[in-house]
Amino acid sequence: MASLQGYVDHRVLLILQDGRAIVGVMAGFDQKSNVVLSDSKERVYSMEEGVEEIPLGLYLVKGDQIVLIGELDEAVDQAVDLSTIRAEPIPPIHY
Amino acid sequence: MDTSSAIQEPFDLIRLSLSERVFVKLRGDRELSGILHAYDGHMNLILSDVEETILIVDQADGAGEGQPTVNMAKRKMDMLFVRGDGVILVSPPSR
Amino acid sequence: MLIFSVFKTLTDQQVTVELKNDLSITGVLKSVDQFLNIRLDNIKVLDEARHPHMMAVKNCFIRGSVVRYVQLPPESVDTQLLEDATRRESAAQTKR
Repeated sequence: MASLQGYVDHRVLLILQDGRAIVGVMAGFDQKSNVVLSDSKERVYSMEEGVEEIPLGLYLVKGDQIVLIGELDEAVDQAVDLSTIRAEPIPPIHY
Repeated sequence: MDTSSAIQEPFDLIRLSLSERVFVKLRGDRELSGILHAYDGHMNLILSDVEETILIVDQADGAGEGQPTVNMAKRKMDMLFVRGDGVILVSPPSR
Repeated sequence: MLIFSVFKTLTDQQVTVELKNDLSITGVLKSVDQFLNIRLDNIKVLDEARHPHMMAVKNCFIRGSVVRYVQLPPESVDTQLLEDATRRESAAQTKR
């Protein structure tokens, strides 16, 4: 089974269908891959300025909105100066 | 048994195309040509020796008069799983 | 079921998953489930300069429904076996 169990209590990056990127600590999940994140922030990417982090706190994401869940290497993630990153936002999913 | 009696339902046509080169039309202006090795009821496919053609329609700025430019991108892949939800049609080899 | 079995035989192999948002991710296939959700280890995003979003991500879970293609290692796919299995499955389906 491609389970999410290994991600609980780990810092993760969620990519959503609309292209949003959200980081947070996975507090829990269920059978439909609905996910609860604690201490979460949206990372807003643009070519004009560095990455903006918008605090979201405790956040529930519906499973059908999720594209991808990635486990963050916290050391690598903290070493990145987000203010220097310029990138297009991730495109939304189109079926 | 001739071919027409062997084809009772649509999937029979695909079954008779196993190990032959097929043409696949996909959502998102994509087309594939490849040798069909497997499929299922969702039209998930496994193809080898695949050539993908993507039509990129550039509606040049000012969507009025200027005719859109159509670019074609091609790419080859050795062995490919294609998710069925993107499949519009599968066409058997021409003979 | 057939495709699920194929993916199971490919665990621990390197694959490239192309998503419907045009992101391509290469990694080692760690597991797959009945929805064709995929877990990849040791991932690398294609064209990382353009897509720095996943720089710090080491492994990931991809929802099956957002997959467009998976590029498979051809040497690990027995095409004859696949065709036989596909014929068998379609015969079983029509009998029902």
